[in-house]
Amino acid sequence: MSETSPTPSEPAAEEPLAGLVAQFTSPEALKKAAARVRDEGYTRWDAHSPFPVHGIERAMGVRRTILPWLVLGAGISGGMAAILLQWWTNAFDYPHIISGKPLFSLPANIPVTFELIVLLSGLTAFLGNLVLNKLPEFSHATFRSERFRRVTTDGFFISLDATDPKFDEAAARALLESAGAAAVDACRVAAPARLPAVVGWALLVLGVLATLPPVLTLWYRSIPKRSPRIHLIQDMDFQPKYKTQAASPLFADRRAMRPPVEGTVAVGRLREDEYFHFGRTQDGWARSLPMEPTDELIERGRQRFDIYCAVCHGYDGAGGGIVSKRAIERMEPDWATPVSFHSNAVRQQADGQLFHTITGGAGKMPGYAALIEPADRWSIVLYIRALQLSRNAAAGDVPDEIRRRLP
Amino acid sequence: MQAEAAQITATERISLGSQGRRLAGPALAVGLAGLAAGFGLGWLRDDGLKHFFHSYLLNYCFFLSLSLGGMFFVLIQHVTRAGWSVSVRRLAEILAANIFWLTVLVLPLVVPVLLGNSALYRWNDPAAVAGSELLQVKTPYLNPAFFGVRALVYFLVWWCLGRYYLGRSVQQDVSGDPELTIRMERRSPAALILFAVTVTFAAFDWLMSLEPEWFSTIYGVYFFSGAVVGGLATLILAAIGLQAAGYLRDSITTEHYHDLGKLLFAFVVFWGYIAFSQYMLIWYANIPEETTWYLARQSGPWVWLSLVLLFSHLLIPFFGLLSREAKRRKAILGFWAAWLLAAHWLDLYYLVMPSLCGGRLPLGAIDACLLVGVGGIYAAGVFRVASACALVPQRDPRLAESLAFENI
Amino acid sequence: MSSTLAENVDNTTDDPRRRAALVIGRRDYASITDRVCGVAEMPRTPPAWYVLFAFSSLLTAALFASVGYLFVTGVGVWGNNSPVFWGWPIVNFVFWVGIGHAGTLISAILFLFRQRWRTSINRFAEAMTVFAVMCAGLFPAIHIGRVWLVYWLAPYPNQMAVWPNFRSPLLWDVFAVSTYGTVSVLFWYHGMIPDLATLRDRAGGKLRRFFYGLFALGWRGSARQWHRYEVTYLLLAALATPLVLSVHSVVSFDFAVSQLPGWHTTIFPPYFVAGAIFSGFAMVVTLMVPARAVLGLKELVTVRHLDNINKVLLATSWMVAYAYSVEWFMAWYGGSPYERFAFLNRALGPYAWAYAIMVTCNVLVPQLFWFKRCRTTPWIMFVVAVLVNVGMWFERFVIIVGSLSRDFLPSSWGYFRPTPIDVLMLVGSFGMFFTFFLLFLRFLPVVAMAEVKTVVAHDAQNHDS
Repeated sequence: MSETSPTPSEPAAEEPLAGLVAQFTSPEALKKAAARVRDEGYTRWDAHSPFPVHGIERAMGVRRTILPWLVLGAGISGGMAAILLQWWTNAFDYPHIISGKPLFSLPANIPVTFELIVLLSGLTAFLGNLVLNKLPEFSHATFRSERFRRVTTDGFFISLDATDPKFDEAAARALLESAGAAAVDACRVAAPARLPAVVGWALLVLGVLATLPPVLTLWYRSIPKRSPRIHLIQDMDFQPKYKTQAASPLFADRRAMRPPVEGTVAVGRLREDEYFHFGRTQDGWARSLPMEPTDELIERGRQRFDIYCAVCHGYDGAGGGIVSKRAIERMEPDWATPVSFHSNAVRQQADGQLFHTITGGAGKMPGYAALIEPADRWSIVLYIRALQLSRNAAAGDVPDEIRRRLP
Repeated sequence: MQAEAAQITATERISLGSQGRRLAGPALAVGLAGLAAGFGLGWLRDDGLKHFFHSYLLNYCFFLSLSLGGMFFVLIQHVTRAGWSVSVRRLAEILAANIFWLTVLVLPLVVPVLLGNSALYRWNDPAAVAGSELLQVKTPYLNPAFFGVRALVYFLVWWCLGRYYLGRSVQQDVSGDPELTIRMERRSPAALILFAVTVTFAAFDWLMSLEPEWFSTIYGVYFFSGAVVGGLATLILAAIGLQAAGYLRDSITTEHYHDLGKLLFAFVVFWGYIAFSQYMLIWYANIPEETTWYLARQSGPWVWLSLVLLFSHLLIPFFGLLSREAKRRKAILGFWAAWLLAAHWLDLYYLVMPSLCGGRLPLGAIDACLLVGVGGIYAAGVFRVASACALVPQRDPRLAESLAFENI
Repeated sequence: MSSTLAENVDNTTDDPRRRAALVIGRRDYASITDRVCGVAEMPRTPPAWYVLFAFSSLLTAALFASVGYLFVTGVGVWGNNSPVFWGWPIVNFVFWVGIGHAGTLISAILFLFRQRWRTSINRFAEAMTVFAVMCAGLFPAIHIGRVWLVYWLAPYPNQMAVWPNFRSPLLWDVFAVSTYGTVSVLFWYHGMIPDLATLRDRAGGKLRRFFYGLFALGWRGSARQWHRYEVTYLLLAALATPLVLSVHSVVSFDFAVSQLPGWHTTIFPPYFVAGAIFSGFAMVVTLMVPARAVLGLKELVTVRHLDNINKVLLATSWMVAYAYSVEWFMAWYGGSPYERFAFLNRALGPYAWAYAIMVTCNVLVPQLFWFKRCRTTPWIMFVVAVLVNVGMWFERFVIIVGSLSRDFLPSSWGYFRPTPIDVLMLVGSFGMFFTFFLLFLRFLPVVAMAEVKTVVAHDAQNHDS
């Protein structure tokens, strides 16, 4: 049935006539004959040549193919798909600012868009050609003619299909011979054999098997597993280096993380001035600020206090800040109410001790050394003193012009 | 085939002759009137003739680019030994040989620079140069004397090329000597090299140096691509016009229009490619000394002009010229050729005008007057040249091939 | 018309009154078919083929071995190091992609320009393109470091919810080179279908008939099918033309979008495309000159064809020279001290030797082609073509390594040295290229017979020569 087995020129008597094949000597002869066949009104016929003969389409009355329109459509779709892909992935689904460019950067998206237009157009052109030409078509009646083998070398042929309504063997032969055919062959072909059933079953089985990998993949990705994943690249996954908190046999204390050498000071952390950095003197707590108290310093202290301290201690320093109120409201079991600054105990504390509390914390309160610079901590101490004075002032402490305005 | 060719050229009208000479006069008059009106309007603006010079430069470069596009067409047909284009090549040769009037028309641009005028080129202003280290560094190139010498060289080269190729081709009309074709072909590679160098540096000198701090290595290619689009569009319109007036009815066929249309389409895409390359690279690296040029063309009302240019010079004509039928029907092809000629003018506007004033779109009667002005004189030159020779190379050895070929 | 010395007929005539014959000697369709099919139908493979194949396979094996070593050990096996982070692998990538471009130009662009002389060489050149693109695609894939994650370059939905960065030219490369590879293969195969049918119809053995028949898809020369075939050919050619321009432009964007002096310049896209065509045509000559002599194709690939190819070489050499000149001018004109230094450094710095090779091979040597004698003498053009390819490899080297080794900050400067693995991979890639090419020569139709016959028919119709 297929062209792989050579067929004899003399047909078996029982095989029906599928068509006639006539050979011509030159492209011009082929064109003239084609025009004759076209004019006779045949519709199921074809001309064959080893190369495209210029002008044969006109002689045969072949209409221009729609393939260019299919390719245009594919190109436009490819372009739109590319723009959509790039917009959706980079500007919508996971927006990513790269070197300050807009999320949807049309100039940067043009190259990929262009390539996808060409790719889809090219694939459509190639596959469209195959589909419209009905290729692959490994079996055809014309292959029954031995002479027809020359078609791909230097033979020019016309084939008439017996299923054409105008076909009549004798008339067709006469037409071809009068049109200048050098030889006319009859092509006899038995009823087309069907693909053996086993091929269909094999394809079905293969199709089912082909769905297994993606299905298994999706299944495995959706279920939790106890065993760890497979490590293909060993030396990337198990790198010969120590990670944080790991143990190391090299050191006596078996820690991989080594503390700095005794006496190491980080850059900018040499806190030589004990008074300024810790609020301590040789005789105990510092009793005053290391800098001159000024209006600006109090203002700074107020600002810093309102930021860092007021949330727990309240804006008045009495201990009723919103965090505390909330914790009490929620009945937090281990909440300790912040101390009021106006209590005698706190009022009697030295400036340095207050500073120390801010630095390192006390009880429930954490240390604020990492958050507040030392100078600012002193300014907070100053402000606390101001707050304390506000609840414990004598009439003589109020400035004259304000006292005059009081009722 | 040769006999057929001879018969065609014997029966159809192939020479403008006296009709051409009669058209040259009025064209010249209209041109001079336009120039005068433009100059008057420019004087009235009281800006030191800045707008006048910019508008003049824009219109001058427009018409120059048509001749340069024609020159490229002629040279490339010779270097590839093409046969299809013989019927239309004479039209391109005529365009390319119109160098005399183009030389005269460049004087209002070059002479003021030589005299120290800096309305157009800031680098010619000693105060500006003194205040900018960058301009001082460029002084060995951007100085009036060297500028003038270079302009002289460009026109000398273009004059030689244009006159040579028209001259030999016209000589062949009489003698039919195939040796002339061989000689024109042999000289075309060197001619193309000279063409490339002169066009590149002319674009640098006259257009790129409007903004002397800025630079782009692809600028010469950009100007060239636009010039070829303009030249091809003019060629198409000339052929259509001549056929409408009764000339060349048989020697220019649908196949020629199809091929010219294909070339026009290809160069529209090429222009788009070059324009995009320049834009995208400068946009991507975002280096301030380069982006200023585009920022000026994207700020305020200029952004609309940029978009109009993109659509009118690339996107719309791309689809317009895509189909086979569009290139084979004179009405459609002619429409797109005229459209692209306008788009090419807009392209030059986009190149020249932002250096006049940022922020607004300077468009006025002065631009129209100078378009007519420069165009009238240019057209007069074309008519003069065209009326002195036949409109088709009657005895070119490949004329028969040109008449016979068919597209797929 | 025919003579025993037919292949020595000079068809490089310049007479404008007649088009020169593009096929000389016996010009009937059967002889053309015999000559071309004879190459693939040789009953016994010549020993020379085996020797060449063994050698190139050895080099291919060396390539794969070094790639395997790279995977196992890491990118440190190359010479890439600070500041030259892109070294030979990227130079090789650009080199091979550039070579591929000639095939598409000959197939597609010359087709659109109706240059009929292309039909003897286009099959050859298209095969060269396909194999060159394969060699090219290898290098960016392996140079990414964690090669087992190369699939991350594709935009597929994933659990990390991460997408590739479409704003990067490296990703544009992925799309451009894949599209180019796909369309080149499609174009090459599409052109081969009628010729495979020819081989099928002449095939003696069952195995040959089966395989040629399978890939010929049952082609029977039907005029209705030829019509669609021709339209497809035109469409593919019209698509491949802007594609080939875009691919090397996208490759040039890898460098030009940066801010590095010597890399960031707007002329890179057309300059790279011209350079690609230049090196590709040189490779065509390098392959074609020995092949036509050994395979007996001198009457199909005539001296005129070689003459035309060499003219294209000369033209593209000038385009490359134009780009060099404009870059030099603009480096001075732009006034940037970094750009000026970059160019002076190229010519006078530590890589001056590479720069000299580049300019000599790319600009000076091809000037020999002004002389017809040089354009039409096979051994001269072979030497010139090899030197051009050397020069073009060095051009990419000068651009990439030269600019990276000395950029803005002198304290970062460094001199790049390749390692033996670098060298082995470059040489090995040539091995892979030639292996595929030898297989192509042995089994596939090396000349587009159907297209050559069309040319002969056209000539016969016009009564030329």
